[in-house]
Amino acid sequence: MKLEIQSLTKLYKGHAALDHLSLASEVKVLALIGPSGSGKSTLLRILGGLESADAGTVTINAEALPVSASALLAYRRQNGFLFQAFNLFPHLTALQNLQLPLEKVHGFSAQDAKATAEKALARFGLLSHAHKTPAQLSGGQQQRVGIARAVAIKPRILFLDEPTSALDPEMTAEVLELVHELANEGQQIVLSTHEMGFAKAVADNIAFLANGRIEECSHPKDFFTAPQSGIAQRFLSKVMKY
Amino acid sequence: MTLKHWNILAACIVALVFSIFATVILQSLGPQWDWGKPWEYRQLLFKGWGQTIILSLGAMVGSLVVGLLLMLGQRSPLGSIRWTCRLFLEFVRDTPLLVQLLVGYFVIFAPLLSLSIGNLGWDDKLIIGVILLSLFEGAYLGEIFRGGIESIPRTQWESARAVGFNRRQIYRYVIFPQALRRVLPAVAGQFVSLIKDSSLLSVIGVQEFAYQARAYTSLTYGGLEAYVPLALGYLILTAPIAFMAHQIERRYRDEA
Repeated sequence: MKLEIQSLTKLYKGHAALDHLSLASEVKVLALIGPSGSGKSTLLRILGGLESADAGTVTINAEALPVSASALLAYRRQNGFLFQAFNLFPHLTALQNLQLPLEKVHGFSAQDAKATAEKALARFGLLSHAHKTPAQLSGGQQQRVGIARAVAIKPRILFLDEPTSALDPEMTAEVLELVHELANEGQQIVLSTHEMGFAKAVADNIAFLANGRIEECSHPKDFFTAPQSGIAQRFLSKVMKY
Repeated sequence: MTLKHWNILAACIVALVFSIFATVILQSLGPQWDWGKPWEYRQLLFKGWGQTIILSLGAMVGSLVVGLLLMLGQRSPLGSIRWTCRLFLEFVRDTPLLVQLLVGYFVIFAPLLSLSIGNLGWDDKLIIGVILLSLFEGAYLGEIFRGGIESIPRTQWESARAVGFNRRQIYRYVIFPQALRRVLPAVAGQFVSLIKDSSLLSVIGVQEFAYQARAYTSLTYGGLEAYVPLALGYLILTAPIAFMAHQIERRYRDEA
Protein backbone atom coordinates (compact mmCIF):
# COMPACT_ATOMS: atom_id res chain seq x y z
CA MET A 1 0.00 0.00 0.00
CA LYS A 2 1.08 3.52 -0.64
CA LEU A 3 0.54 5.59 2.46
CA GLU A 4 0.80 9.37 2.47
CA ILE A 5 0.09 11.44 5.52
CA GLN A 6 0.38 15.17 5.62
CA SER A 7 0.38 17.39 8.66
CA LEU A 8 -2.06 15.19 10.56
CA THR A 9 -3.22 16.74 13.83
CA LYS A 10 -5.50 15.36 16.52
CA LEU A 11 -6.32 17.20 19.72
CA TYR A 12 -7.67 15.73 22.93
CA LYS A 13 -8.87 18.45 25.28
CA GLY A 14 -6.28 20.85 23.95
CA HIS A 15 -3.43 18.35 24.07
CA ALA A 16 -2.05 17.39 20.65
CA ALA A 17 -1.92 13.59 20.45
CA LEU A 18 -0.78 14.01 16.86
CA ASP A 19 1.07 17.17 16.04
CA HIS A 20 1.42 17.87 12.31
CA LEU A 21 2.45 14.29 11.68
CA SER A 22 3.68 13.51 8.17
CA LEU A 23 4.73 10.25 6.57
CA ALA A 24 5.21 8.81 3.11
CA SER A 25 5.75 5.11 2.82
CA GLU A 26 5.14 2.31 0.39
CA VAL A 27 4.89 -0.91 2.33
CA LYS A 28 3.19 -4.22 2.88
CA VAL A 29 3.73 -4.23 6.61
CA LEU A 30 4.30 -1.03 8.56
CA ALA A 31 5.21 -1.11 12.24
CA LEU A 32 4.70 1.90 14.47
CA ILE A 33 6.95 2.00 17.47
CA GLY A 34 7.71 4.58 20.09
CA PRO A 35 7.21 5.39 23.75
CA SER A 36 3.78 5.24 25.37
CA GLY A 37 1.80 8.38 24.67
CA SER A 38 3.69 9.07 21.47
CA GLY A 39 0.52 8.87 19.38
CA LYS A 40 0.75 5.33 17.95
CA SER A 41 -2.76 4.37 18.95
CA THR A 42 -4.25 7.65 17.81
CA LEU A 43 -2.59 7.33 14.42
CA LEU A 44 -3.82 3.73 14.06
CA ARG A 45 -7.35 4.68 15.08
CA ILE A 46 -7.43 7.40 12.45
CA LEU A 47 -5.97 5.12 9.79
CA GLY A 48 -8.51 2.45 10.78
CA GLY A 49 -11.40 4.88 10.40
CA LEU A 50 -12.39 4.79 14.06
CA GLU A 51 -11.64 8.43 14.58
CA SER A 52 -11.32 11.59 12.50
CA ALA A 53 -8.36 13.92 12.54
CA ASP A 54 -8.75 17.59 13.39
CA ALA A 55 -6.47 18.67 10.55
CA GLY A 56 -4.29 17.20 7.83
CA THR A 57 -4.82 14.59 5.15
CA VAL A 58 -4.28 10.87 4.74
CA THR A 59 -4.28 9.05 1.42
CA ILE A 60 -3.95 5.32 1.02
CA ASN A 61 -3.16 4.20 -2.54
CA ALA A 62 -4.00 7.73 -3.70
CA GLU A 63 -7.45 7.54 -2.12
CA ALA A 64 -8.22 10.07 0.58
CA LEU A 65 -9.50 8.76 3.89
CA PRO A 66 -13.25 9.47 4.05
CA VAL A 67 -14.69 12.14 6.32
CA SER A 68 -18.44 11.58 6.55
CA ALA A 69 -19.76 9.12 9.12
CA SER A 70 -21.38 6.85 6.55
CA ALA A 71 -18.29 6.73 4.33
CA LEU A 72 -16.15 5.98 7.37
CA LEU A 73 -18.46 3.11 8.23
CA ALA A 74 -18.06 1.71 4.73
CA TYR A 75 -14.30 2.17 5.03
CA ARG A 76 -14.18 0.32 8.38
CA ARG A 77 -16.10 -2.53 6.80
CA GLN A 78 -13.34 -3.09 4.25
CA ASN A 79 -10.61 -3.29 6.85
CA GLY A 80 -9.87 -5.21 10.02
CA PHE A 81 -8.99 -3.73 13.38
CA LEU A 82 -7.74 -5.41 16.52
CA PHE A 83 -7.30 -3.76 19.92
CA GLN A 84 -5.05 -4.74 22.81
CA ALA A 85 -7.78 -6.79 24.45
CA PHE A 86 -11.53 -7.25 24.86
CA ASN A 87 -12.11 -7.50 21.13
CA LEU A 88 -14.64 -10.31 21.38
CA PHE A 89 -18.26 -10.02 22.38
CA PRO A 90 -18.50 -11.94 25.66
CA HIS A 91 -22.11 -13.05 25.23
CA LEU A 92 -21.30 -14.92 22.01
CA THR A 93 -19.22 -18.02 21.32
CA ALA A 94 -16.04 -17.75 19.28
CA LEU A 95 -17.87 -18.99 16.21
CA GLN A 96 -20.75 -16.55 16.67
CA ASN A 97 -18.24 -13.75 17.12
CA LEU A 98 -17.06 -14.42 13.57
CA GLN A 99 -20.43 -15.29 12.17
CA LEU A 100 -22.44 -12.28 13.35
CA PRO A 101 -20.52 -9.54 11.47
CA LEU A 102 -20.32 -11.70 8.35
CA GLU A 103 -24.07 -12.05 8.40
CA LYS A 104 -25.20 -8.63 9.57
CA VAL A 105 -22.47 -6.42 8.13
CA HIS A 106 -21.34 -8.26 5.02
CA GLY A 107 -24.64 -9.78 3.98
CA PHE A 108 -23.64 -13.45 4.08
CA SER A 109 -26.43 -15.98 4.39
CA ALA A 110 -26.50 -17.77 7.74
CA GLN A 111 -25.07 -20.89 6.13
CA ASP A 112 -22.28 -19.14 4.27
CA ALA A 113 -21.41 -17.11 7.34
CA LYS A 114 -21.07 -20.28 9.41
CA ALA A 115 -18.96 -22.01 6.78
CA THR A 116 -16.70 -18.97 6.33
CA ALA A 117 -16.36 -18.50 10.08
CA GLU A 118 -15.47 -22.15 10.60
CA LYS A 119 -12.93 -21.99 7.82
CA ALA A 120 -11.29 -18.94 9.37
CA LEU A 121 -11.13 -20.60 12.79
CA ALA A 122 -9.79 -23.83 11.31
CA ARG A 123 -7.08 -21.93 9.48
CA PHE A 124 -5.61 -20.79 12.80
CA GLY A 125 -6.19 -24.07 14.61
CA LEU A 126 -9.04 -22.67 16.65
CA LEU A 127 -11.87 -24.87 15.47
CA SER A 128 -11.89 -26.92 18.67
CA HIS A 129 -12.67 -23.70 20.56
CA ALA A 130 -15.49 -22.66 18.24
CA HIS A 131 -18.21 -23.18 20.80
CA LYS A 132 -16.45 -21.64 23.77
CA THR A 133 -17.27 -18.17 25.02
CA PRO A 134 -14.42 -15.66 25.36
CA ALA A 135 -14.35 -16.19 29.14
CA GLN A 136 -13.44 -19.83 28.50
CA LEU A 137 -10.50 -18.93 26.26
CA SER A 138 -7.01 -17.83 27.27
CA GLY A 139 -5.91 -14.30 26.47
CA GLY A 140 -3.83 -15.55 23.56
CA GLN A 141 -6.69 -17.59 22.17
CA GLN A 142 -8.98 -14.59 22.48
CA GLN A 143 -6.60 -12.46 20.46
CA ARG A 144 -6.23 -15.19 17.85
CA VAL A 145 -10.00 -15.48 17.53
CA GLY A 146 -10.04 -11.68 17.26
CA ILE A 147 -7.56 -11.85 14.39
CA ALA A 148 -9.52 -14.66 12.77
CA ARG A 149 -12.61 -12.46 12.91
CA ALA A 150 -10.73 -9.53 11.42
CA VAL A 151 -9.31 -11.54 8.51
CA ALA A 152 -12.41 -13.65 7.84
CA ILE A 153 -13.73 -10.77 5.75
CA LYS A 154 -10.50 -10.62 3.70
CA PRO A 155 -9.66 -7.08 4.79
CA ARG A 156 -7.71 -4.79 2.54
CA ILE A 157 -5.60 -3.65 5.47
CA LEU A 158 -5.35 -5.20 8.91
CA PHE A 159 -4.75 -2.72 11.74
CA LEU A 160 -3.33 -4.12 14.97
CA ASP A 161 -3.04 -1.84 17.99
CA GLU A 162 -0.51 -3.42 20.34
CA PRO A 163 -2.07 -6.83 19.88
CA THR A 164 0.10 -8.52 22.52
CA SER A 165 0.48 -5.84 25.18
CA ALA A 166 -2.06 -7.46 27.49
CA LEU A 167 -0.61 -10.97 27.17
CA ASP A 168 2.04 -12.97 28.99
CA PRO A 169 5.15 -14.00 26.99
CA GLU A 170 3.99 -17.45 25.96
CA MET A 171 0.70 -16.16 24.58
CA THR A 172 2.49 -13.23 22.99
CA ALA A 173 4.48 -15.71 20.93
CA GLU A 174 1.41 -17.57 19.66
CA VAL A 175 -0.22 -14.34 18.56
CA LEU A 176 2.91 -12.94 16.95
CA GLU A 177 3.46 -16.17 15.04
CA LEU A 178 -0.02 -15.85 13.62
CA VAL A 179 0.56 -12.26 12.56
CA HIS A 180 3.86 -13.24 11.00
CA GLU A 181 2.10 -15.97 9.05
CA LEU A 182 -0.46 -13.49 7.75
CA ALA A 183 2.28 -11.09 6.71
CA ASN A 184 4.06 -13.88 4.84
CA GLU A 185 0.85 -14.64 3.00
CA GLY A 186 0.79 -11.08 1.74
CA GLN A 187 -1.73 -9.49 4.09
CA GLN A 188 -1.21 -5.72 4.30
CA ILE A 189 -0.76 -4.77 7.93
CA VAL A 190 -0.24 -1.60 9.94
CA LEU A 191 0.54 -2.36 13.56
CA SER A 192 1.86 -0.76 16.68
CA THR A 193 3.94 -2.84 19.05
CA HIS A 194 6.42 -2.86 21.89
CA GLU A 195 7.96 -6.12 20.64
CA MET A 196 11.06 -4.85 18.88
CA GLY A 197 12.26 -8.25 17.69
CA PHE A 198 8.90 -8.89 16.13
CA ALA A 199 8.74 -5.49 14.46
CA LYS A 200 12.17 -6.15 12.99
CA ALA A 201 11.14 -9.56 11.69
CA VAL A 202 7.77 -8.73 10.23
CA ALA A 203 7.81 -5.12 9.01
CA ASP A 204 9.21 -3.71 5.78
CA ASN A 205 9.20 -0.29 7.35
CA ILE A 206 9.46 1.04 10.86
CA ALA A 207 7.93 4.39 11.72
CA PHE A 208 9.22 5.77 14.99
CA LEU A 209 6.84 8.13 16.77
CA ALA A 210 7.54 10.58 19.57
CA ASN A 211 5.41 13.47 20.82
CA GLY A 212 2.81 13.08 18.12
CA ARG A 213 5.24 13.15 15.21
CA ILE A 214 7.13 10.65 13.08
CA GLU A 215 10.75 11.08 14.08
CA GLU A 216 12.01 8.72 11.42
CA CYS A 217 10.75 6.09 9.07
CA SER A 218 13.13 3.55 7.62
CA HIS A 219 13.90 -0.05 6.86
CA PRO A 220 14.04 -2.20 10.02
CA LYS A 221 17.67 -3.12 9.48
CA ASP A 222 18.70 0.53 9.23
CA PHE A 223 16.48 1.61 12.05
CA PHE A 224 17.60 -1.00 14.56
CA THR A 225 21.32 -0.82 13.71
CA ALA A 226 21.68 2.90 13.18
CA PRO A 227 18.75 5.06 14.27
CA GLN A 228 19.13 8.63 13.04
CA SER A 229 17.39 10.76 15.64
CA GLY A 230 18.68 11.18 19.16
CA ILE A 231 15.31 10.36 20.66
CA ALA A 232 15.12 7.06 18.77
CA GLN A 233 18.64 6.17 19.85
CA ARG A 234 17.76 6.79 23.49
CA PHE A 235 14.50 4.85 23.16
CA LEU A 236 16.20 1.85 21.58
CA SER A 237 19.08 1.78 24.04
CA LYS A 238 16.49 1.73 26.83
CA VAL A 239 14.21 -0.98 25.45
CA MET A 240 17.05 -3.17 24.21
CA LYS A 241 18.97 -2.95 27.49
CA TYR A 242 17.40 -5.99 29.15
CA MET B 1 -19.36 -25.93 69.82
CA THR B 2 -19.08 -25.74 66.06
CA LEU B 3 -20.83 -23.36 63.75
CA LYS B 4 -23.28 -26.10 62.85
CA HIS B 5 -24.33 -26.54 66.46
CA TRP B 6 -24.77 -22.82 66.92
CA ASN B 7 -26.93 -22.79 63.84
CA ILE B 8 -29.21 -25.51 65.20
CA LEU B 9 -29.49 -23.66 68.49
CA ALA B 10 -30.35 -20.40 66.69
CA ALA B 11 -32.97 -22.19 64.60
CA CYS B 12 -34.58 -23.62 67.75
CA ILE B 13 -34.72 -20.20 69.41
CA VAL B 14 -36.24 -18.60 66.32
CA ALA B 15 -38.86 -21.36 66.06
CA LEU B 16 -39.72 -20.98 69.74
CA VAL B 17 -40.10 -17.19 69.56
CA PHE B 18 -42.15 -17.47 66.41
CA SER B 19 -44.54 -20.04 67.88
CA ILE B 20 -45.07 -17.99 71.03
CA PHE B 21 -45.74 -14.93 68.90
CA ALA B 22 -48.18 -16.79 66.64
CA THR B 23 -50.01 -18.37 69.57
CA VAL B 24 -50.49 -15.01 71.28
CA ILE B 25 -51.81 -13.36 68.12
CA LEU B 26 -54.15 -16.17 67.15
CA GLN B 27 -55.48 -16.42 70.67
CA SER B 28 -56.31 -12.75 70.86
CA LEU B 29 -57.91 -12.74 67.42
CA GLY B 30 -59.54 -16.14 67.69
CA PRO B 31 -63.06 -15.10 68.67
CA GLN B 32 -63.18 -11.98 66.44
CA TRP B 33 -62.10 -13.45 63.16
CA ASP B 34 -64.68 -15.24 61.16
CA TRP B 35 -63.17 -17.07 58.24
CA GLY B 36 -66.57 -18.06 56.92
CA LYS B 37 -67.28 -14.53 55.81
CA PRO B 38 -64.36 -13.99 53.44
CA TRP B 39 -65.19 -17.37 51.93
CA GLU B 40 -68.75 -16.18 51.29
CA TYR B 41 -67.41 -13.12 49.52
CA ARG B 42 -64.66 -15.01 47.71
CA GLN B 43 -65.96 -14.00 44.30
CA LEU B 44 -65.59 -10.35 45.13
CA LEU B 45 -62.00 -10.91 46.22
CA PHE B 46 -61.25 -13.08 43.19
CA LYS B 47 -62.59 -10.41 40.88
CA GLY B 48 -60.29 -7.91 42.53
CA TRP B 49 -57.36 -10.28 42.20
CA GLY B 50 -58.13 -10.69 38.50
CA GLN B 51 -58.16 -6.92 38.05
CA THR B 52 -54.82 -6.66 39.82
CA ILE B 53 -53.35 -9.23 37.44
CA ILE B 54 -54.65 -7.38 34.37
CA LEU B 55 -53.48 -4.06 35.80
CA SER B 56 -50.04 -5.42 36.62
CA LEU B 57 -49.51 -7.11 33.27
CA GLY B 58 -50.60 -3.97 31.41
CA ALA B 59 -48.36 -1.76 33.51
CA MET B 60 -45.41 -4.14 33.08
CA VAL B 61 -45.60 -3.83 29.32
CA GLY B 62 -46.29 -0.09 29.56
CA SER B 63 -43.44 0.56 31.98
CA LEU B 64 -41.01 -1.34 29.76
CA VAL B 65 -41.93 0.94 26.86
CA VAL B 66 -41.69 4.07 29.01
CA GLY B 67 -38.41 2.92 30.53
CA LEU B 68 -36.90 2.17 27.15
CA LEU B 69 -37.94 5.56 25.78
CA LEU B 70 -36.57 7.36 28.83
CA MET B 71 -33.28 5.47 28.55
CA LEU B 72 -32.93 6.30 24.85
CA GLY B 73 -34.00 9.89 25.53
CA GLN B 74 -31.27 10.27 28.11
CA ARG B 75 -28.71 9.07 25.59
CA SER B 76 -29.97 11.38 22.86
CA PRO B 77 -27.42 13.65 21.17
CA LEU B 78 -29.95 16.50 21.59
CA GLY B 79 -29.53 18.25 24.92
CA SER B 80 -33.15 19.38 25.11
CA ILE B 81 -34.42 15.80 24.85
CA ARG B 82 -31.88 14.63 27.40
CA TRP B 83 -32.92 17.28 29.90
CA THR B 84 -36.64 16.79 29.40
CA CYS B 85 -36.28 13.07 30.08
CA ARG B 86 -34.05 13.70 33.06
CA LEU B 87 -36.47 16.19 34.60
CA PHE B 88 -39.49 13.97 34.04
CA LEU B 89 -37.65 11.04 35.54
CA GLU B 90 -36.52 12.95 38.62
CA PHE B 91 -39.96 14.43 39.15
CA VAL B 92 -41.65 11.05 39.00
CA ARG B 93 -39.08 9.35 41.19
CA ASP B 94 -38.99 12.10 43.81
CA THR B 95 -42.72 12.67 44.40
CA PRO B 96 -45.19 10.27 46.08
CA LEU B 97 -47.05 7.85 43.86
CA LEU B 98 -50.26 8.67 45.72
CA VAL B 99 -50.07 12.32 44.69
CA GLN B 100 -49.25 11.39 41.10
CA LEU B 101 -52.23 9.06 40.95
CA LEU B 102 -54.70 11.57 42.37
CA VAL B 103 -53.46 14.53 40.33
CA GLY B 104 -52.78 12.39 37.28
CA TYR B 105 -56.25 10.93 37.30
CA PHE B 106 -58.52 13.75 38.46
CA VAL B 107 -56.63 16.69 36.96
CA ILE B 108 -54.93 15.35 33.86
CA PHE B 109 -56.17 12.09 32.39
CA ALA B 110 -59.80 11.81 33.46
CA PRO B 111 -60.89 15.12 31.87
CA LEU B 112 -58.91 14.25 28.74
CA LEU B 113 -59.61 10.58 28.21
CA SER B 114 -62.46 9.28 30.36
CA LEU B 115 -65.22 10.08 27.93
CA SER B 116 -63.59 8.61 24.86
CA ILE B 117 -62.44 5.49 26.67
CA GLY B 118 -65.95 5.10 28.12
CA ASN B 119 -67.45 5.46 24.66
CA LEU B 120 -65.33 2.54 23.51
CA GLY B 121 -66.92 0.51 26.24
CA TRP B 122 -63.74 0.10 28.27
CA ASP B 123 -63.13 0.75 31.94
CA ASP B 124 -61.54 4.20 31.90
CA LYS B 125 -60.22 3.90 35.44
CA LEU B 126 -58.39 0.70 34.65
CA ILE B 127 -56.83 2.10 31.46
CA ILE B 128 -55.77 5.37 33.06
CA GLY B 129 -54.54 3.39 36.04
CA VAL B 130 -52.33 1.34 33.75
CA ILE B 131 -51.00 4.53 32.12
CA LEU B 132 -50.21 6.21 35.43
CA LEU B 133 -48.57 3.13 36.89
CA SER B 134 -46.57 2.64 33.66
CA LEU B 135 -45.25 6.19 33.87
CA PHE B 136 -44.26 5.78 37.51
CA GLU B 137 -42.59 2.38 37.22
CA GLY B 138 -41.17 3.30 33.80
CA ALA B 139 -39.20 6.12 35.38
CA TYR B 140 -37.49 3.61 37.64
CA LEU B 141 -36.92 1.19 34.78
CA GLY B 142 -35.44 4.05 32.74
CA GLU B 143 -32.76 4.48 35.40
CA ILE B 144 -32.18 0.73 35.63
CA PHE B 145 -31.79 0.50 31.85
CA ARG B 146 -29.47 3.48 31.72
CA GLY B 147 -27.29 1.93 34.39
CA GLY B 148 -27.27 -1.34 32.48
CA ILE B 149 -26.22 0.26 29.22
CA GLU B 150 -23.57 2.36 30.90
CA SER B 151 -22.14 -0.68 32.64
CA ILE B 152 -21.11 -2.14 29.28
CA PRO B 153 -17.46 -1.20 28.84
CA ARG B 154 -16.42 1.25 26.15
CA THR B 155 -14.29 -1.45 24.55
CA GLN B 156 -17.46 -3.23 23.46
CA TRP B 157 -18.63 -0.16 21.54
CA GLU B 158 -15.18 0.14 19.99
CA SER B 159 -15.01 -3.49 18.94
CA ALA B 160 -18.50 -3.33 17.54
CA ARG B 161 -17.60 -0.26 15.49
CA ALA B 162 -14.40 -1.92 14.36
CA VAL B 163 -16.23 -4.91 12.89
CA GLY B 164 -18.43 -2.50 10.97
CA PHE B 165 -21.72 -2.44 12.85
CA ASN B 166 -23.74 0.74 12.52
CA ARG B 167 -25.27 2.44 15.56
CA ARG B 168 -28.51 0.51 15.49
CA GLN B 169 -26.72 -2.80 15.05
CA ILE B 170 -24.34 -2.01 17.90
CA TYR B 171 -27.30 -1.56 20.24
CA ARG B 172 -29.17 -4.56 18.91
CA TYR B 173 -26.44 -7.18 18.65
CA VAL B 174 -23.81 -6.10 21.15
CA ILE B 175 -25.07 -3.74 23.84
CA PHE B 176 -28.66 -4.79 24.51
CA PRO B 177 -28.02 -8.53 24.85
CA GLN B 178 -25.26 -7.89 27.38
CA ALA B 179 -27.10 -5.14 29.24
CA LEU B 180 -30.27 -7.24 29.43
CA ARG B 181 -28.58 -9.95 31.48
CA ARG B 182 -27.26 -7.39 33.88
CA VAL B 183 -30.55 -5.57 34.44
CA LEU B 184 -32.91 -8.56 34.57
CA PRO B 185 -32.67 -9.05 38.35
CA ALA B 186 -33.29 -5.34 38.95
CA VAL B 187 -36.18 -5.31 36.47
CA ALA B 188 -37.75 -8.30 38.20
CA GLY B 189 -37.41 -6.49 41.51
CA GLN B 190 -39.10 -3.48 40.00
CA PHE B 191 -41.95 -5.66 38.76
CA VAL B 192 -42.48 -6.94 42.29
CA SER B 193 -42.77 -3.32 43.42
CA LEU B 194 -45.12 -2.63 40.55
CA ILE B 195 -47.52 -5.38 41.59
CA LYS B 196 -47.58 -4.11 45.16
CA ASP B 197 -47.85 -0.46 44.07
CA SER B 198 -50.90 -1.34 41.99
CA SER B 199 -52.82 -1.61 45.27
CA LEU B 200 -52.62 2.19 45.52
CA LEU B 201 -54.80 2.52 42.44
CA SER B 202 -57.81 1.89 44.67
CA VAL B 203 -57.61 5.64 45.47
CA ILE B 204 -58.79 6.50 41.98
CA GLY B 205 -61.46 3.83 42.15
CA VAL B 206 -59.88 1.02 40.17
CA GLN B 207 -61.62 -2.06 41.52
CA GLU B 208 -58.52 -4.10 42.10
CA PHE B 209 -57.62 -6.50 44.87
CA ALA B 210 -57.00 -4.02 47.69
CA TYR B 211 -60.12 -2.06 46.70
CA GLN B 212 -62.25 -5.18 46.99
CA ALA B 213 -60.69 -6.14 50.31
CA ARG B 214 -61.69 -2.77 51.65
CA ALA B 215 -65.12 -3.06 50.04
CA TYR B 216 -65.55 -6.43 51.73
CA THR B 217 -64.63 -4.99 55.10
CA SER B 218 -67.21 -2.23 54.87
CA LEU B 219 -69.89 -4.52 53.41
CA THR B 220 -69.61 -7.03 56.22
CA TYR B 221 -68.64 -4.68 59.05
CA GLY B 222 -65.96 -7.30 59.41
CA GLY B 223 -62.55 -7.23 60.93
CA LEU B 224 -59.32 -7.44 59.04
CA GLU B 225 -59.83 -11.01 57.78
CA ALA B 226 -59.80 -10.00 54.14
CA TYR B 227 -56.28 -8.65 54.44
CA VAL B 228 -54.85 -12.13 54.99
CA PRO B 229 -56.07 -13.45 51.61
CA LEU B 230 -55.00 -10.08 50.22
CA ALA B 231 -51.42 -10.61 51.37
CA LEU B 232 -51.46 -14.19 50.12
CA GLY B 233 -52.88 -13.14 46.76
CA TYR B 234 -50.06 -10.65 46.24
CA LEU B 235 -47.52 -13.18 47.44
CA ILE B 236 -48.65 -15.69 44.82
CA LEU B 237 -47.93 -13.07 42.15
CA THR B 238 -44.71 -11.63 43.51
CA ALA B 239 -42.94 -14.67 44.96
CA PRO B 240 -42.34 -16.42 41.59
CA ILE B 241 -40.92 -13.20 40.11
CA ALA B 242 -38.66 -12.65 43.10
CA PHE B 243 -37.56 -16.29 42.93
CA MET B 244 -36.84 -15.97 39.22
CA ALA B 245 -34.81 -12.81 39.84
CA HIS B 246 -32.60 -14.70 42.30
CA GLN B 247 -32.12 -17.53 39.84
CA ILE B 248 -31.14 -15.19 37.03
CA GLU B 249 -28.82 -13.29 39.31
CA ARG B 250 -27.12 -16.52 40.39
CA ARG B 251 -26.72 -17.72 36.86
CA TYR B 252 -25.24 -14.42 35.80
CA ARG B 253 -22.81 -14.50 38.71
CA ASP B 254 -21.72 -18.02 37.78
CA GLU B 255 -21.12 -16.98 34.20
CA ALA B 256 -19.07 -13.95 35.11
